[in-house]
Amino acid sequence: MIWGFRLEFKQNLRTKKFWVIIGLMGILYIPSFYLMKSFLLQSGEKITNEAAMNMLISSITGMTSFFVAILALLIGATAINSEIEKGTLRIAMSKPIKRLHYIAGKFLAHSLVLLIALLFSTVVSILGVLYIGGSLTGRLVGDVLLLNMLLLLAMIQLVALGYLISTFIKSATTALGFALAVMFIVFMIVPSMVGFLAIKDTINSQNTSMEELQQIQKYYTTKYLFYDPISQIKVITQDVSTNVQNPLKAGYRGIAYAIKHNMVNFAHILWLTVLYLAVGFYRFLRMDLR
Amino acid sequence: MVLKIEGLVKNYGDVKALDGLDLEVKQGQVYGFLGPNGAGKSTTILSTLGLIYPQHGRIELVGLEVFRDGKYSEDSLVEVKRKVGYMPEHATLWDFLTPMQTLDIIGEAFGIPGRERRKRAEELLKLLNLWEVRDKKVGKFSKGMRQRLLLAQSLVNDPELLILDEPMTGLDPSGIAEFKDIIKDLNREGKTVFFSSHILAHVEEICDTVGIIVKGRLIAEDRLETIKREFLRKAGYIIILETNKPISFEGTGWKATPLGEKKYRIAAPDDIREELHDFVASQGAKILTMQVKEPSLEEIFLKIVE
Repeated sequence: MIWGFRLEFKQNLRTKKFWVIIGLMGILYIPSFYLMKSFLLQSGEKITNEAAMNMLISSITGMTSFFVAILALLIGATAINSEIEKGTLRIAMSKPIKRLHYIAGKFLAHSLVLLIALLFSTVVSILGVLYIGGSLTGRLVGDVLLLNMLLLLAMIQLVALGYLISTFIKSATTALGFALAVMFIVFMIVPSMVGFLAIKDTINSQNTSMEELQQIQKYYTTKYLFYDPISQIKVITQDVSTNVQNPLKAGYRGIAYAIKHNMVNFAHILWLTVLYLAVGFYRFLRMDLR
Repeated sequence: MVLKIEGLVKNYGDVKALDGLDLEVKQGQVYGFLGPNGAGKSTTILSTLGLIYPQHGRIELVGLEVFRDGKYSEDSLVEVKRKVGYMPEHATLWDFLTPMQTLDIIGEAFGIPGRERRKRAEELLKLLNLWEVRDKKVGKFSKGMRQRLLLAQSLVNDPELLILDEPMTGLDPSGIAEFKDIIKDLNREGKTVFFSSHILAHVEEICDTVGIIVKGRLIAEDRLETIKREFLRKAGYIIILETNKPISFEGTGWKATPLGEKKYRIAAPDDIREELHDFVASQGAKILTMQVKEPSLEEIFLKIVE
């Protein structure tokens, strides 16, 4: 085991931000599934397995893409600078450990923490789907795991972006504020503006069908939001369902199908993750730890 | 030679932190590395351990060259760190761990087997009077306890060379005395100790050699007594004299300033204590107390810089 992994893992599981995010996700899941069940009871419809899976995928994606993404960016943005401030990094690096091994241990620990947050969201989602009448099948479990891997990759991109912030901004508090501003502007406001432009263009071209709008939105997201892993994930998971507007009546295509049909979006997540990690690691290897 | 630094240069942007520093620490020495704040003490220590990247120079640590002209040899660095202990300045430890867990995780970094780690941790906690609080979280520790744990973590690997960066900062007088005793004991065990301070009193009694760094250059290196003597030779002596009755210094050529009715501050170019005995006696008076005023580190710095 790489030294520092255990320490970092323990440390991150003890942070307030981790438990606040987990708590918020838990709290928000309960009313959403309760409302869904009430709706189903009122309409007298029974949920099909395919619909259950569609709901599960959209629930996990929606919840994690917001909460776990914030956690990922915050963990990354304070990963190095806070340790320099506390002096613990100087202690660790005065021991016979290579810098690369140290940062690799940190990275693995962060990835595991995020995976735990994702699995929490997944388990709660599965319980929610069972609660509303869906059933647990082998395909569902397999697809959920695949989705978790995809989401983990996107979250790792945000951690890596956080590492970059952490190596450039010396003060952990400033880095935290900067990361939140990035999250808000780059990953929330800009995607909304791009979405708005897509709607505007659809109206202008008099293509009013939902399919056309979806296609234009997909095109805009791929082109203008390539740096936003959350938007890319949303594009990919849209293709999981045959009918995004009404998942209860839609067919289910599966995660593998969605990834295969959106390889450009998947590639965007992948190459940026590798790039951020490479630059973040390089910066750490070359930086003065003072 | 346990530590050898040649022509080390480190710039932080336009600021020259180290300006061709040369330094040598011999085996078994207690070397006091003195300098005012911002002189380059911590930069020197961090460079030695590969924690920052100097631009030029050469560093040899416990017999291995670890840095030459802008490049560290990472393998050598890892190798020498097995034989070096480091206590940083202004550091906290992992607040959520107990001292036992802290030392255990540090021992893990050295590849010490589990049972041996626990034994070593126990020894160190007992040595540094932390055994009673072994299960208390470090976050609840006082400053003195933290400093002692910081020292303990630097001793986990039983190092040949101990590098301490301002180890006594923030300690009360009894803490400082205790720390000095520990350093003396460690040196008696054969460890070489290199520690930095900006306070002269911290290095007195325990250092056999002192190096003074100002603006990134070593401007003096010798035994502390020799440095002080040299200072007094250049700056002149200040003697505080107390007699049993008032005396007159007229015609002596010494500059005497009364500090009270029978107390004087005498400035002289040389050590005139023997002459003073005769002079006071010639006036029919007796000396009650007489002492040479110790120069402060700041005074020594200023004089040497001049």
